[in-house]
Amino acid sequence: MTMRLDDFLDLLFRKAREAGLTEFEAYASSGDSFEASVHAGELIAYNVSSAAGLGFRAKVNGRMGYASTQALDEDAADMLVKGAVTSATLTETDDPQFIFEGAETPKLELYNPALDVIPDAEKVQMALDLEKKALAVDKRISTDGCAVFYSAGGRRIVNSKGMDAAFRDNAIGAYVSAVARDGARAGSAYRIAMGRSGAPDFDKLAREASREALDFLTAEPVPSGSYPVVLRASAALELLAAFADAFSADEAQRGLSPLKGREGEVVAAGCVTLLDDPLNPTGLAASPFDGEGVPARHKAVIDGGKLTALLHNLKTAAKQGVSSTGNAARGYSSAISVAPTNFYFQPSEEPLSKLLARAEGGLLITELQGMHSGADAVSGDFSLSAKGYRIENGAVGRSVDQITVAGNFYELLKQVLAVACDLEFGQPGRSCFGSPSILVEKLSIAGK
Amino acid sequence: MISRSAAELALSAALETGGDFAEVFVEDTRRNRLQLMDERLDSVTSDRSHGAGVRVFSGASAYYATTNDTSPEGLVRAAKQAAAALLGAKKLAVKPLDVVVSPAPFPVKQRPGDVAGSRKSAILHAASKAARAEGAAIQQVIASLSDVETDVLIANTEGVFASDRRTYTRLGVQAVATGGGGNQTGFQGPGRHMGYEMFEALIDPEAAARTAARTALTMLAAPLCPAGVMPVAIESGFGGVIFHEACGHSLEATSVSLGNSEFCGKLGQRIASPVVTAVDDGTLQGEWGSIKIDDEGTPANRLVLIEDGILKNYMIDKLGGRRMGMPVTGSSRRQSYAFAPTSRMRNTFIAPGDSEDSEIIATMGDGLYAAKMGGGSVNPATGEFNFAVSEGYWVKDGKIDHPVRGATLIGRGGEVLRKIDRVGKHLKLAQGMCGSISGSVPVNVGQPLIRVTGMTVGGR
Repeated sequence: MTMRLDDFLDLLFRKAREAGLTEFEAYASSGDSFEASVHAGELIAYNVSSAAGLGFRAKVNGRMGYASTQALDEDAADMLVKGAVTSATLTETDDPQFIFEGAETPKLELYNPALDVIPDAEKVQMALDLEKKALAVDKRISTDGCAVFYSAGGRRIVNSKGMDAAFRDNAIGAYVSAVARDGARAGSAYRIAMGRSGAPDFDKLAREASREALDFLTAEPVPSGSYPVVLRASAALELLAAFADAFSADEAQRGLSPLKGREGEVVAAGCVTLLDDPLNPTGLAASPFDGEGVPARHKAVIDGGKLTALLHNLKTAAKQGVSSTGNAARGYSSAISVAPTNFYFQPSEEPLSKLLARAEGGLLITELQGMHSGADAVSGDFSLSAKGYRIENGAVGRSVDQITVAGNFYELLKQVLAVACDLEFGQPGRSCFGSPSILVEKLSIAGK
Repeated sequence: MISRSAAELALSAALETGGDFAEVFVEDTRRNRLQLMDERLDSVTSDRSHGAGVRVFSGASAYYATTNDTSPEGLVRAAKQAAAALLGAKKLAVKPLDVVVSPAPFPVKQRPGDVAGSRKSAILHAASKAARAEGAAIQQVIASLSDVETDVLIANTEGVFASDRRTYTRLGVQAVATGGGGNQTGFQGPGRHMGYEMFEALIDPEAAARTAARTALTMLAAPLCPAGVMPVAIESGFGGVIFHEACGHSLEATSVSLGNSEFCGKLGQRIASPVVTAVDDGTLQGEWGSIKIDDEGTPANRLVLIEDGILKNYMIDKLGGRRMGMPVTGSSRRQSYAFAPTSRMRNTFIAPGDSEDSEIIATMGDGLYAAKMGGGSVNPATGEFNFAVSEGYWVKDGKIDHPVRGATLIGRGGEVLRKIDRVGKHLKLAQGMCGSISGSVPVNVGQPLIRVTGMTVGGR
């Protein structure tokens, strides 16, 4: 039998005290989600999910133990207490551990009630309309993914030091992947948008995905060589996501980040400013507090090319004698780590066209693939499958595919010549990455 | 985990609005993870996930709802949510649940839940020590042990009442070598569908750790790989990720049933070089990608995908089968109850051929020998794939000359399959986690040493 969360917490904390625990904490997350997928004018998948999980941690002899569950019953309460004690007993690290007493957190509006009341049938219709718009662009277009989705979630931290903090958020989004076919050739492109102010611009998503898919029908590799490259916002943010761990003090303290100990040094070109801003409600990783309950705050990680700070939680901050930046990350079933929130390169006021004009004979990269294998955050090396366009006469020219783009992220940061004004955010996970388009002096391209 | 009558109630509720098939999937999973870093165990977590998913079909449309509440009332509530979007009237009754599918699970001698934490800790310490002993440049070792015991129950309106217990154990060792101003990593991740007896006969944690460390050390000294189009020899074991990405995903009903695969409508036709025979086998005893039954309750089988270059079979789940008018293949899988299942790979490999490894290298001229592969990805609609080479060597005039780092291989599946001109004799499997629309599932990839006559190698 599943219990109400408050009743379960009472039971759990009573059992924790009975077991002699004095410092402990529960982290509860819950989420409802909806997704409607369509194909060829038909609804093909309709998913409604509701899930909740609870993580428990406790400090035993200075060490932190963890256990978690999705079942909220008496057995689960026993298992959590026993599991956390076992975990703490096995753990060998002498790193300082914290249960935070809580502090006043900023007020953020992250839940839009207007999204909550859109009927599911209307969201199905939105997905059907989105596909119709994509197909209407050209008769050679089909889709291999077209969906509208909605999610609403809540998080709550309650602990033995009196903290009881909670917030909830929601967002709606849409996705369309267009495939253009002509004989044996196929070209594909996708667009995704997600936000909490209202439904995305379906016309724009459909038009851009279909037109770009058509462009790739005639794409060809370019000769291998070194090219000036404009990374379109959608590609630049993927690259940032792949290397974001390098900005974690946790990774640095473990010797896994080349940025270790380099606070105060110039690590990027002067036009590069990198922000972590959990207070920006348009970013979908916004939250009033982090995974330890520490209040969220805006900070620059790179300011005008200079590394100003790494991201910290309470443990990494204590080890380095600094304050937490409010970047403790956790899911209900994971131990505390460090992660960015809304993490993005600050845009300039220059339009993308200005960047293209400065990259004559170069490439505009629109899509990068292979991030989870072809990008190594420890070394900074990347070698990724890419698509895009030639830059001809200062503008977007012939399409290009079957190439790889290779370089080193830490070298690339220094070779940024300009950033554009077109800031875009990607799909949120535990973090939400963003970037405007970026002009890079030179990258290695393998093609024909 | 739930009674027949609870399942029947939920199935009946799921059919209330005119669905023509319904299914209940219930799961209870216990998971432990230990991680060692800086020569100390720094994170120990245990988790129990528990929930159910109810799926309803109406023609080729699928409706799915999930819940953590597996009480009879909770299941009925989820069933009603799944059925809510259908606006018809009940047209089908639930058959008695008398098709019992409960094969004996793969044998487990040492259940993860019964193994002492101290023994798990000792395995990680041994691995870390062994990796560090390979060289002073090994400055960090992250070793982890994950074990999972999961009970699943599947009931559907065709009368199926199926259950299974799955036990997985996996070691991961990442070694980081530091020197010359840079870091390089090596990884090994051996795992099996079994308990901790895996470490007695089959897996030596120290040997795995040494292999990971040697990759990191070798790559530390390696220059960057030259870029261009060249012959590529890909080693056995995890090298099989090339078939997994370049072809395997495009043979799943997930893409084939919607006309979104380059291999649509090609059954019986040549899609690969005649030296290529490829198999997806869910039945291999204790292997990482093996399952006794799939997540729709169908017993697993051995499925020949390509025989001597000719396409023989697709991997098909119930929904895909409805769209394609073809039977299921026992390979419908999901990460957990939170996902509706779809056709997925299990243990997928290129079968042994008749070439000698030495001849494959000796006759390739100049090119790349990919000794260890990282992961990759594919877009089935266009066949465009990519994957990373984690340990590569430059081959000069048929001889392995020196290590190279930073290489990526890209291409289109259909093209690369036709360019495989050698398949060696020694099949090896390796473990990975495969991600798709039904989540992340354990799979084996595999092959003997193979050679591709020309591939685009990304490097600098």
